[in-house]
Amino acid sequence: MIVLGKIVLGLAGTAVAGAGLLCSEGMIQVNVVEKRPQGHHLHVMVPALLVPIGVHFSPRENIAEASAEIQPWLLTIRVALAQLRECEDVAFVEVNEPGQQVRVAKSGGTIVLDVNSEEESVHVSAPIRAMSSAVEELAAAAPATVR
Amino acid sequence: MPNRIRNLALLGALALAVTTAAVAAPKDHYLHIKVDDPAKGESVNVNVPLSMAEKILPTVNRGNLHQGRVTISNEDMNGADLRTILDAIRTAPDNEFVTVKQHGQDVRVAKLNGNLVVHVREASEDGHNVDITVPMKVVDALFSTAKKDELDVAAALHALAEAGDTLLVSVHDATQHVRIWVDSRSSQD
Repeated sequence: MIVLGKIVLGLAGTAVAGAGLLCSEGMIQVNVVEKRPQGHHLHVMVPALLVPIGVHFSPRENIAEASAEIQPWLLTIRVALAQLRECEDVAFVEVNEPGQQVRVAKSGGTIVLDVNSEEESVHVSAPIRAMSSAVEELAAAAPATVR
Repeated sequence: MPNRIRNLALLGALALAVTTAAVAAPKDHYLHIKVDDPAKGESVNVNVPLSMAEKILPTVNRGNLHQGRVTISNEDMNGADLRTILDAIRTAPDNEFVTVKQHGQDVRVAKLNGNLVVHVREASEDGHNVDITVPMKVVDALFSTAKKDELDVAAALHALAEAGDTLLVSVHDATQHVRIWVDSRSSQD
């Protein structure tokens, strides 16, 4: 009985540690609500850590083009992401017009995009750290001749 | 006695820490852009930390922009020698030194309190009223490159951050208001 308890405790501990590790870089949230009757409501929440892992294990030929295209901008993206991490919370862009509002902001360690129109509302948030990791994985996927 | 010395040492350490923190983390300045069109109910607000722009800009090498500098061609300047004009302005005393009045347009350029000031007034119904104030230090930084056909935008941003709170541009016409300014607040409230 004691052995069984230890096994259960070990499994639960591993699960908690795994969940903690998965969530360590925060969560990516996508929320889309269509405002028409019987409109769709899409809500996706995934651990941000999965994105760089996903890029890492993607077949190289599938991401080679994107990887090559990002190379000239790599330094700019790296500096921008580093600066984003360091700066305090700020709404970078706010657009208000009749029937539509757009907001791009930094909140905590996350970049948040909100679009609210008459047809739908969209909310996307992604941790900056995960964006950095994903960019590095994508950059590393480029053929050596491009890097 | 040892307690007093310890307290004094603690107080000194605290003062040193506060001073170091204040020196190490100067308050960031933000470039704000606000465009309002009350008639259409539209508005656009942009807030950019100057330190961020200053660091990112030198990494962009595209077109006329390279290492935080912009190359300007003679065609862009219509043959005007900006450096010579600015040298003349820099050495001139605070005064209103250019006034142009033509076709319902009144343009005044002056150097006031260390700022380059431009006022444009258009008399027509949908005419623009433009006020531009640029600290001379920013203008100097903009023209601090060795090359004649270059503007150092990154240096100008750095000088702008050091210049403190400034209303740079204000444009009003019949329907739209545009304001560009720098202050230490991250929002426009």
